[in-house]
This record gives sequence, C-alpha cells and structure tokens, in this order.
Amino acid sequence: MSVGPIIQANEAAAGKQTRAPAAISASVLETVAARFRITGLAIAVIDRQGGLAYHDATTSQFFNRYAYGLLRSPGAAVGEISKAIAAATPTSNSSEWSFVPGLVISAVPLVDKRQLTGMMLLIGKRDGFTLDEDVLREANRLGLDATWLQSQADELPGWKADALLAQSKLLISTMRDQTRLNASEQEIDSLSTQLSNSYEELSLIYHISGGMKVNRSASDFFRQACLDVREVMSVSAMGAVLCGVGSCRQDPVLYSRSEEPLLSQDDVTRLANELMVQLRDRKDPMLINDVDRNPQFRWLSGKVRQIIAVPLQRKEQVLGCIFGLDKIEGEFDSVDSKLLNSIANESAIYLENAMLFEDVHALMMGVLHSLTSAVDAKDTYTCGHSERVAILSKRLAQQLNLPEAQVERIYMAGILHDVGKIGVPEAVLHKAGKLTTEEFDQMKKHPQIGARILADIKQLEDIIPGVMYHHERFDGKGYPHGLSGLAIPLMGRIICIADCFDAMTSNRTYRRALPLEVALIEVRRCAGTQFDPTLAETFLQVPTEEFRKLLSEYQSRAAQLVAAPANGTSCP
Amino acid sequence: MSAKTILVADDETHILHVVSMKLKNAGFNVLTASDGQEALEIALAELPDLLITDYHMPNLSGLELCQRLRQEPSTSNLPAIMLTARGYNLQPEDTQNSGILRMLSKPFSPRQLLTTVNEVLEKLAA
Repeated sequence: MSVGPIIQANEAAAGKQTRAPAAISASVLETVAARFRITGLAIAVIDRQGGLAYHDATTSQFFNRYAYGLLRSPGAAVGEISKAIAAATPTSNSSEWSFVPGLVISAVPLVDKRQLTGMMLLIGKRDGFTLDEDVLREANRLGLDATWLQSQADELPGWKADALLAQSKLLISTMRDQTRLNASEQEIDSLSTQLSNSYEELSLIYHISGGMKVNRSASDFFRQACLDVREVMSVSAMGAVLCGVGSCRQDPVLYSRSEEPLLSQDDVTRLANELMVQLRDRKDPMLINDVDRNPQFRWLSGKVRQIIAVPLQRKEQVLGCIFGLDKIEGEFDSVDSKLLNSIANESAIYLENAMLFEDVHALMMGVLHSLTSAVDAKDTYTCGHSERVAILSKRLAQQLNLPEAQVERIYMAGILHDVGKIGVPEAVLHKAGKLTTEEFDQMKKHPQIGARILADIKQLEDIIPGVMYHHERFDGKGYPHGLSGLAIPLMGRIICIADCFDAMTSNRTYRRALPLEVALIEVRRCAGTQFDPTLAETFLQVPTEEFRKLLSEYQSRAAQLVAAPANGTSCP
Repeated sequence: MSAKTILVADDETHILHVVSMKLKNAGFNVLTASDGQEALEIALAELPDLLITDYHMPNLSGLELCQRLRQEPSTSNLPAIMLTARGYNLQPEDTQNSGILRMLSKPFSPRQLLTTVNEVLEKLAA
C-alpha cells in the first residue's frame, strides 16, 4: 500500500495555497487520531531521525506511557527502528514492526515533495499481550508498575498484524480525505477573503458610480472618491489632482486619515506635480513601496513610506491622477493598483460626461440667451428684464425650498418667459402711450406665441407652463386662459410675481422706477388678486437687502451700457 | 463579556462564507442557515444576539422570518439586519414591529456590514 495519494493531496493543496502547509497538519492528525482511538489504536509520527514528532496526548494511559514512552526511548528497539526508517523510501508500502515488545505497529512512510519526512505509526496492543520478559524489561526501564500496566492493557483490544494492516489502509484513506477536506476548507477561507475584497471593491465602484452626477463639481466628486478609496484600500491618505479647466480642474488635494494632515499643502502640490510628470510618460499605475530608496521621491523620506498613483486619462491624454500614500498594513500590490485603476476609469467616465454636459449646457444656455437678446433688442425698454425675472423667480423658488433641479428649470422659464414678444409687432411693443384694445389683444398673444416657439424643443417642454401662464391672475382675470387659483401652474404663478416686481422696479419710457419699498408694498397689496397669496408672502420673506443688491447691480450694468452703447443693445 | 452570537441566513453560500468570515475574524460566534425555515429553527434553538438575514430566501422570506421570530416569546426582541437586492426598498410599514433595525443593499461592503453590526449591538447595549 503506497501513501502516494496522501502526498498528492498535500502537494495539490500546497500548489493552491501561498503558505506551505505542514506535510500533514496537526488538526488533521488530531481528527484522525480521535477516530482510531475508538478502535483501541493510537497514532504517532516519527521524524527521519526516529524522534517522536506527534503523539495523541488524549489516548489511553497504556499508549501514552508505555507505547509513546518506548518511542521516545526505544532502548533495544532503537536499531530496528533506524533500520526500518532507513529502508523506507518515498514509494514504499506500509511495513509492520513486530520488534517492539507487547505492541503491533504499522508504519507508513510520510513524504513531502518526494522526500521522505518521517513515518506515521498506527499502534495497537499485540493480540495475546502478556507481561512477558521483554515487556517487563521495557516497563522497568520506563519506570512503569507491571500490575498497573497489565490493568491498563486489559482495557484495550488486542490486534493481530493482518487486522492492523487493514486498519492502516483505512488510516491512509482517512488521512487523504481529511487532508483534502482541510485543504478545501482553507481554500474556501481564502476564496471568501478574495470574495470579501471583491465585494468591497464592487460596493465602492457602485458608490462612486452613484456619485457621478454630471452637475456635481469635480471637487465634490474627487472628495467622495478619495474618502471611499482610502477606507477600502486602507491607506493613510488619498489625494487627487486634475489639470484641466471647469469641471476638469482640481487643485492638488490630500485627504488624510488622521486629523493632522500627512503632508503640508506645499508638499502635496509638489508631490502632485512630480507624479504628473512621471505619469504623463508612463500612463500606467505607479507603485513605490520604498520612498527612501526612490531618487525621485526621496525628498518625502520620513513623511511618507509608500506611494501608489494612477493616471486619469481622456483620449490618451493624462489629465490628472489619483494617489494613495502609506498602506496601513503591508505594501501596495497588484490588487491595489487594479482597484485604483478601475476607480480611475470610473472617474474618467465622470470627467468625460461632465465635459460633454458642460459643452451642451453652455451651448443651450447660449442659444437661450441669444433668443432673449433678440427679444430685448426688439423691446429695448425691457433690457435685462428676462435675466432679472429669471433670477427673481429662481430666488422665490429657493425660498419655497423647491428641489434644486426644479429651481433650475424655473430659472430657465424666467429667461424665456417673454420670448413670444418676437411675434408681437414692434409698433405695439414700442408704443409709449396707452395701448388700444386691439393693440392690447396683440400684446396678450405673446405667452401663447412663446409657448408655440418652445413647443418643438422637447428638452424645454416642462418650462412651457411658465411661459404660457405668467400673465394669469390668481383671481382669474388674467390671460390667455383666465385660469384662477391653484389651477394656474406653479411656474406661471412664480414668474408672474417676479415679472411684475421687476417691471415696477425698472425705468420705463412712460414712468420712472418705483422705489423698492413701494414695489414690495404693491406685491402685498396684490396678494390674493393678482398673485398667489402664499407665494407673495414667501417672496416678501426674502431679505430686502438681496433685492436692493440685485437692483443696484442692474443699475450699474445699465449705466455701463449707456456709457458704451457701441457694445450692443442700449438700455434706457 | 462573552462573544456575541450572530445568526446569518442567506441562500447564497458565498454570502454566508463572506459574512461569517468577516464576523468570525471580528470575534463573534457565527451560526449559519441557508433558508428561512432553517434560520427559524436555529434561532429558536440557539437564541442568538443578532440576526442578519437576506430578504429573498426559499421557504420563508427574510421578512416572514423576522415576523415569526417576533411572535415567539424567546426571540421577540431579537434584533435583525436585513440584506436586500439593490434598488429593492422595503416600505417602512413592512419593517415595523419586525425587529429589523437596519437594511443593507447588495452588493454591500463587508466592512460596512461589520460597522453596522457593531453599531446595532452598541445601541442595544446602551
């Protein structure tokens, strides 16, 4: 019977595990020993020199004191044991040792990496055990009382050599199974550790993707990413730098784990600059596990031990990098660079989107502003009116605690609320005196014209109510539909207040601007008739100083335009 | 103070392995169950200090498990942390009186789970 299979299992396990397992682990030996204890057999391992390497301390006293005693101090058997070990080869079968008085022993060669490392012994009380001359001699030598030894022996079954050989085959297969089982358990542990790390990474990437809203600022985005990565990667500090413009700009920043920053801002800036120089050329992650010995970064010696950095790229161009300093335990390895690389890729997607978003947003706002400029150019006395109505509407929306996205839409509706005036004859728009009924009817069409102009722009659908209904009155006496109360869309009710307020506080060809205080009183007076009373009340809650500031800004801008009319549209 | 015992119930073996390894390394005693029914039996027999359960499980869902445990005198105060699929939100009325103190959506961070476990146990001890 060969022990080959045990060894194969061990080697297979050794190949998969990074740490080399003992040829047979103590836990395997204990499990197996416990099983054979039931059948009245004991297990021992001896090394190549014959020294007792493992014994089952919980076995019966007969084995514990007599059998293990003999193995520790073999006396006359020492020569036979040495001979048996010398005869064993990595491929030899189990052998029977009949030379130990009172015992039968089956010896199995133990092999690790094709080398004989020792022997495993399965030990039984010899069938027909008596206190014969040889046994008594050994008991005396070991200092064991003969009567006591006989009484201990009486409790154990006796074993014949052939029956023990069968048991030793069982031992080998049990060892093999148990070793395999242990290896599998270790493998599960190791896979679970890897899986746990993957979960950590996955949840991090989820988190970071979740934070990739394009309207978020780069510094917000990188702050969150750095804080998250710092935890998952267990580093003392994470930093980022981004050498672009707008949403692609991030001044060198470092988020340290401790309250005391790991590096001064000057050091962070210098480090970021030097990392950028390196990464621009290599474009691959950079791992430095010993700063002291790195000529480029030796200046950080004493402050930082290790650096990991990955580039942030867009279209082959290195725009920036994220970097980690000092792993809390161990060194930076390929797992870290892989993780940081996927974060860098995620961030690059964010950057790409943010840039596209900015482009598109700027384009759209440009188009909208030129639309309103067209109106303002036509209706000169309303110069800047659209912009101010937009700002006032936005301010009221903020005071109402509306969600940020809705506030932005209301601002846009404010910008565009009078766009329909493009369709109103200039003679009507410019008329200084009171309008005739017919002219007023033409004027009253501008909300619907505006709504029609915007109707084709799918992305502006939601702001049409603001354009269409900003001349409706709360008491139902407005136009174009004569809606009343809360039937008027919120956007319309908000812009209505902003529109009237700005009209009152601006100079018109037919009258001077009303003082701010008077305009505010007027807003209160018209609450419930022209204006939604709740909105009017909220509007009046805005600190008066803010209104004053807005007005003075407008007036100084108007003065500038008057001073330099060549710039474009002139304002009265 | 003796180590707290935590029962982890999930029909996904890998989750059981990851969670129990994380908890064992942190010094907890860990019991595992691979479906709701098994978890119920173990919880009643072993009276753990905390239950971590998946929502979607065969035989007995995580929520049903919590509700059943709530009805048993010996486990009526057993606190629970629920794991759910991302984007799957239980309504507050569902979790009322179920002992569910916290919810984590998969894929969760094992570190986050451990923090949550410690927070929940500390809060209960206080």
